[in-house]
Amino acid sequence: MKEQPHRLKWHILFAITILGIAAGIYSASQTINYNWQWHRVLPYIVDTSPVDIIAQGDGSASINNNSLTITYDNGAPDRIINNADTILVSDGDIIFEGDLLARQENVRMGVLIEGLLTTLEISVISLFFSLFIGLVAALMRISNNPFSKNLSLLYVEVIRGTPLLVQIFIVYFFLGTVFDLERFTAGIVALSVFTGAYVAEILRSGIQSISPGQMEAARSLGMTYPKAMMYVILPQAFKRTLPPMASQLINLIKDSSLVSVISITDLTKAGREVVSGSFATFEVWFTVAALYLLLTSTLSWAIQRIEKRLANNG
Amino acid sequence: MVNAYKGNDMVVTANVDKIYPNNCHALKKVTTNIKRGEVVVIIGPSGSGKSTFLRTLNQLETITDGDIIVDGVNMYDERTNINKLRENVGMVFQSFNLFPHLTVKENVMLAPLKVSKLPKSEVDAEAQTLLKRVGLAEKMDVYPAQLSGGQQQRVAIARALAMKPDMMLFDEPTSALDPEMVGEVLDVMKSLAAEGMTMIVVTHEMGFANEVADRVLFMEDGVLLVDDIPENIFGTVANHPRLQKFLSNIL
Repeated sequence: MKEQPHRLKWHILFAITILGIAAGIYSASQTINYNWQWHRVLPYIVDTSPVDIIAQGDGSASINNNSLTITYDNGAPDRIINNADTILVSDGDIIFEGDLLARQENVRMGVLIEGLLTTLEISVISLFFSLFIGLVAALMRISNNPFSKNLSLLYVEVIRGTPLLVQIFIVYFFLGTVFDLERFTAGIVALSVFTGAYVAEILRSGIQSISPGQMEAARSLGMTYPKAMMYVILPQAFKRTLPPMASQLINLIKDSSLVSVISITDLTKAGREVVSGSFATFEVWFTVAALYLLLTSTLSWAIQRIEKRLANNG
Repeated sequence: MVNAYKGNDMVVTANVDKIYPNNCHALKKVTTNIKRGEVVVIIGPSGSGKSTFLRTLNQLETITDGDIIVDGVNMYDERTNINKLRENVGMVFQSFNLFPHLTVKENVMLAPLKVSKLPKSEVDAEAQTLLKRVGLAEKMDVYPAQLSGGQQQRVAIARALAMKPDMMLFDEPTSALDPEMVGEVLDVMKSLAAEGMTMIVVTHEMGFANEVADRVLFMEDGVLLVDDIPENIFGTVANHPRLQKFLSNIL
């Protein structure tokens, strides 16, 4: 415990530095007279605005015990509204199509949270596909067959050598048109193929870092090559590649912001929409950044836990 | 399976040649035969091809020319299933090569479970028996990294025995061990030999060769120079000048 006072000093310095950065950001915004309005962001996270109930045809209203019944002139079945919080018509009113009949209190996800969920969905689906593509490409790369070796090499070089943004455009406008892909599917294809190339390189280096003696021992026991891979080589390679894999998968979440260019309403696109609606530019982008950080730090934490669990052996 | 000839011979090699892609001529017309239950020790200077020869016997190394017949099966017949053949030939390596992500018992159980597809309860009981036999009953649930070299090598022997092989290959099993651990591994090997296991051992342990071997092969430069009983190899008479020089260097 001799080191304690010394370490405490550095913790205090760290806290002071962070406070200093925060103060710097605040005073910088003061110099441009920026008026912080954090409350404006809130409705885009939790939306509490009431829902309007609109008449769908001409008719008449009758109110009975807080229950609004609309009888339509064209013989359509009556509409009974029981759950309205505010009724905006009176008993016996004549109703025309498009009239505002009542309001209903409602708490629902804001645009930013919807965007966050879209980002999460795209990232999780792409994560599984990119791991699968990466594993296949890595196994092809280390095989002795020149066909699969070269195919995998070409894939990795082409994908690593071109920008993701360009790939998204190519997948959306070319493949999307040829195969009639939805924009969501196109986004997932582009992200999975892009990340798969990096995962392939990570896994290949992991597999090749395992001593050849492991494969020899497995084969000498009568295991086939696939069995030796599955039960002996890959479990060890996965463990070794966890740290670079974590970085790559965090990159995947961040890269998913690029799919906003093909009009997928992910977190980034939602942020852009909210900025144009609320004019709280700084607050919205800081919020968007914090929400991304929430996703990436959760993934980072999960992978660290796996790493710790595997650390006790080998 | 191709049953070319299944008799008293466990291994028959004829004119085995091995040339590496870098033109290194590792084996030159190696011809020998090893009978069932025989313990054969291969000695020779490093680079003499003795390990390469051993590794050709379960095809961890392929050969350039010649024939290898193991348990009546011609290894290079296109109908031969090499995995099936390897199940019957256990191998122990200089660097142990235990699977570090599995516990000691899981190491022993893996191949019977995944290759022979035996029921888990049976495999588990067999693994416990084997580990008791090599003196590691109390280490079943630890990981290999927590064991000493000698203990690891004994686990490796148990792992190879779990497939119930008819022949065991030992590739310098004690060369990576601290001197005080050599004995425990050699003891396990001696008990195996006493039970009648066919064993081919590449080693520098001349005491073991003298005591346990039925035959000693001396290799140099990829050539099988001497093939004799240990009494003649280690006897006082200078029976071969190269062998004499090798022995005087290491003894």
